[in-house]
Amino acid sequence: MNKFKVLKNEQITEETFMLRFDRPLLEIKSGQCFNLGLPEIGINREYSMYSSEKSKYLDFLIRAVEDGIISSQLQRLQIGEYVDIDGPYGEFCIQNPNNIKTKYLFIGTGTGIAPFHSFIKTYPKLDYKILHGVRYEKDQYHNDHYPKDRYSACISKPDFGSGIRVTDKLEKENFDSDNMKFYLCGNKNMIADCLDILHNKNVSGDQIITEVFF
Amino acid sequence: MKIAISYPPIINEYGQKAMVSQNRNVQYFREPTYLLPITHAQAATSLKLMGFDVYWDDGNAQLKSFQGWLDDLVSEKPDIVVFESTTPVMKFYWNTINLVKKFMPKCIVILTGYHSMRMPEESIKESQVDVILRSSNVDFDLRRLVPFINKNSNWRETFNGEGFLIRGSKEIKSTGNFRHVEKLDDSPLINRDLVNWKDYAYENGNFLQTPGTYATSVIRDCMFGKCTFCRYNGPDLTFSMMSVEKSLDEYENLINNYGVREIFDDSGVWYRGKEARLFAQGIIDRGLNKKGCYFGINTRFEYLDEETIKLMAEANFRFVLLGYEAADNETLMRLNKGYQLEHVENCLKWLTKYGLHPHLTIMVGYYWQTKEQLQRTVDEVRRIMFSGLARTLQVTLCTPLDFTPYHKECIEKGVLLTKDYDDHDMSKLIVKTPIEHSEYYAAVREMYSIAYHPKFILRQILFLFNFRKKDWQFLFTYSIRAIRRVRQHVFNLTRSENKQLTKKIPAKNS
Repeated sequence: MNKFKVLKNEQITEETFMLRFDRPLLEIKSGQCFNLGLPEIGINREYSMYSSEKSKYLDFLIRAVEDGIISSQLQRLQIGEYVDIDGPYGEFCIQNPNNIKTKYLFIGTGTGIAPFHSFIKTYPKLDYKILHGVRYEKDQYHNDHYPKDRYSACISKPDFGSGIRVTDKLEKENFDSDNMKFYLCGNKNMIADCLDILHNKNVSGDQIITEVFF
Repeated sequence: MKIAISYPPIINEYGQKAMVSQNRNVQYFREPTYLLPITHAQAATSLKLMGFDVYWDDGNAQLKSFQGWLDDLVSEKPDIVVFESTTPVMKFYWNTINLVKKFMPKCIVILTGYHSMRMPEESIKESQVDVILRSSNVDFDLRRLVPFINKNSNWRETFNGEGFLIRGSKEIKSTGNFRHVEKLDDSPLINRDLVNWKDYAYENGNFLQTPGTYATSVIRDCMFGKCTFCRYNGPDLTFSMMSVEKSLDEYENLINNYGVREIFDDSGVWYRGKEARLFAQGIIDRGLNKKGCYFGINTRFEYLDEETIKLMAEANFRFVLLGYEAADNETLMRLNKGYQLEHVENCLKWLTKYGLHPHLTIMVGYYWQTKEQLQRTVDEVRRIMFSGLARTLQVTLCTPLDFTPYHKECIEKGVLLTKDYDDHDMSKLIVKTPIEHSEYYAAVREMYSIAYHPKFILRQILFLFNFRKKDWQFLFTYSIRAIRRVRQHVFNLTRSENKQLTKKIPAKNS
């Protein structure tokens, strides 16, 4: 049984929060996910690691979803309470982080920004840009963690003015796709739409890595 | 243009047919189970909707001999033949492709399937195949490729859709890897008449009642997708989900218009959480739970909570298939299973409490599996079955297949004992193990012997008395089928212990 004590439960917005635990002594790669569940409940859900793989902590950015049995209970956790954690799993990782020629476009919606946050904390020299699709301005979680020229929020329902979706932004984005990798993380419909856009921009499937939230 | 979606009958020297089995691997059985290949059925439906002439050609389910199947195919004169391959039948398919090309040189042969999509160059080299699909989204791929072929005589040179390997007139052309999350709602529900659904309605161990059918899967690939031994794992795969309403519409149609009495969704892992509850509630709201039809699914431990299970029971769900690969945490961790043993019991208790029918699929023979780990699995399975926490079980030998992470790991570690694809048919262990192979075979037999134990039989009878519906037909029909299947598994193991290699009857060249 892998029980981990909650060290921090930071409420970021009404629905979104960050849970912190001690990092287990395992080989972990940025971009991987873990299964989180509550002791004795017997149900778990997958969440991507939010922290650096080098951090002494294991952080998760979680949104309490409507009718979500696990996420809503995780949100109510107090410091000192325990969570079952299994993992890490997955290969949504940076393949050659030392290759300085590669540029990255990270596209995520909501808490789908978690693995990208982990990437940039682990590999500070990455040449990247983030397109973050969110509904409201308040959903730009920890946007001060990214240089302004590398983080671009696409707010569909802003406080003022008309909204923009991450797919709209991607359509307008100009890039030379040579030496670029495209990482997509989040809602399945957003990913399907982004893939269509990227294909229309002649980006090869070999350059695209996806992690679908469900 | 006519497209044949073809499954030639594959029969070995023991008269056993190649069938899709646990983890969608091929295994040979004398008493076959006919499984509707869902994605290919959706591909057939898609092409039919586009106006193409589609020949649904499952020689297995249509009970044809190989020669009968070939004669029929040749007389149909298809312009395109689509095959689906997996590791243990690769050589058979290469021979069959060459045979088809011999009789119909102008016919375009397309190879799909998890083995060839991961090793496409190999099949181009070993056979006269024209196109290899590098994705599991056969329906979406063929929808792009076939109309293009229909309109462009020089398609080999000009088609640029991603994810194909094409034999051109001068060279082999790759159109790159395919990484796409298709919207599953954009693929049609299966046209049941086109695929002769009744061919698959009776001989299937997953059906408690017949006629049964497989639903159009609500999940493509797997929502977890990280178990190392499973074919739904890899960077070339992703996951997509059908909307609950669309799936409910299909269930309503199958029950009301086809008289189906059991529907099994063979998605690697079915809905969970909100979607699972919405689906079950939708069944109840539409009154489909009152029509005497059972529903079955595959799921994972720690995916369904008690509230959801209760609702599913009310909706008339019955058969629930769970992968219980081993009873030791080290193995589960190495397989990336993503659940903890401590929670297995909770899940099974909830399922049986509400009258569902948990079926465990167990594997033995991992290259690291020690005697202690193996015995622990046997003991735990016996305890679960005797205590009534699961109703039925299936045990197989873990066989590395289709270049899954486990397969690659076996190759890298040098523990794979054979390079012959024929040996990957799950009839024998093909990896180096810390103990004798015979010990794993004995463990399999021991677990199957539970089905004959008086204590277990008594449990089954008691279960029927406590059932919310008195399912007496189950005791006779399903049990007979289960016992028949157990005998088949034991036959295969005995054959392996006698060290007789399985040899398939090759497709003859004339």
